[in-house]
Amino acid sequence: MDKDLEKLSALYDGELSSKEIQESLAEMNADASLKETFHKFGLISALVQRHSEQKTPKVLFLKDYLSKINPLMSNFVTAAATVMITLIILYQFDEDRFQVDRDSSLQLSSALSSDQAKNQLLNADQNIMEHMIHIMQSNQSHNSQQVSKNWIPVGFSVNPNNPNQYSNGRNNLFFHLENKQLGIKKVKYFKANNNWIYLIPLQDGRLLTAYGDVPPSVADPMIQSIYQRK
Amino acid sequence: MGVSKGDEVLVNEIKAGNTMAFEAMVLKYQPKLMSSLIAYTKSPDQAEELCQKTFIRVWQKIDSFRGDSALFSWIYRIGINMAKNDFASSFSKSSKITDSLDQNEHDVPQYLSPETELIAMESENKIMEFIQTLDTEIKTAFTLREIDGRTYDEIAQILQCPIGTVRSRIFRARQLILEFMNQENILNG
Repeated sequence: MDKDLEKLSALYDGELSSKEIQESLAEMNADASLKETFHKFGLISALVQRHSEQKTPKVLFLKDYLSKINPLMSNFVTAAATVMITLIILYQFDEDRFQVDRDSSLQLSSALSSDQAKNQLLNADQNIMEHMIHIMQSNQSHNSQQVSKNWIPVGFSVNPNNPNQYSNGRNNLFFHLENKQLGIKKVKYFKANNNWIYLIPLQDGRLLTAYGDVPPSVADPMIQSIYQRK
Repeated sequence: MGVSKGDEVLVNEIKAGNTMAFEAMVLKYQPKLMSSLIAYTKSPDQAEELCQKTFIRVWQKIDSFRGDSALFSWIYRIGINMAKNDFASSFSKSSKITDSLDQNEHDVPQYLSPETELIAMESENKIMEFIQTLDTEIKTAFTLREIDGRTYDEIAQILQCPIGTVRSRIFRARQLILEFMNQENILNG
């Protein structure tokens, strides 16, 4: 019996082969107690994950970690912490027309309570959040593909110590380019304190992430030029 | 992060018409969705209705799921859109779940009432305290899976043990938690 339940537990975790999954589903279909146990695995997960979200925001650990490896990045973790709690998706560009899409299903209103906003963002945009944190966590540019010089806003020049960091003397802008799009079809950007994070899906299937204290007034022409030059 | 391999198989089975696969998906994700919807709506009854509507819509739209995102993220987005629409329409009329059913309707299994799940929420601290008492090896494997979302393979690498050991430790953790919940009369609904 324990072996069956252990298999059920592995099924819950998505760790069975295709054939085993079909077998387990057939066994569940024939045994109501297995269904109930499977559902209780789900309840335990929900409880543990809810508790984890409430009690152990990993971004706090991330902040401690990053401040050790790169003090510069800790500013962005402060931004990330804010994002995790009160992130407001302001609006989205349409990839083709760059029009403001205020009816976006992901648009959140500032009228939402912070709990609601947090809940939505921790779940609905978990992949995006993890992506942004991952980029901040990655510290240096070694895991980013090289960005095109044509994408760099006018007046910005490269940091000699970091080929993906650019500055115009007042503002800093980091780029990260990789082969994934996270299901993002339109440009999204996020504001946290004085920092902005732009997620720019490219038509070739890559995702360009730009972040720094660069407001949309500067980033908008940059984004449009990226699409025009692709 | 796209859909996990296990969920991908589950989705493919659902697309092929395997109703047990759909039921398994509901059983797996209903508690998490309920928890999110209760937090969103502040109403267990409304959350339960939205939860049912969501899974009906999931059944109807499963062919459009391409696996770009995690399965639960996709389900959650449908649920939250349902909640928003429900909220908007509540100003003009009261709607019932049957209003939205069409020819593709599908029964959504219900195993535990929202009240029971609320009891579970009240028992959260008790269960979490119990988890802290678990043997370190079991607790670590379980935590890496449930909180960090690691795969068995990743956990095996981190803990430097065979995947089979990871699988049995995670199961043992769940088994002990279920036993504890039974002892404490939690979720016997």
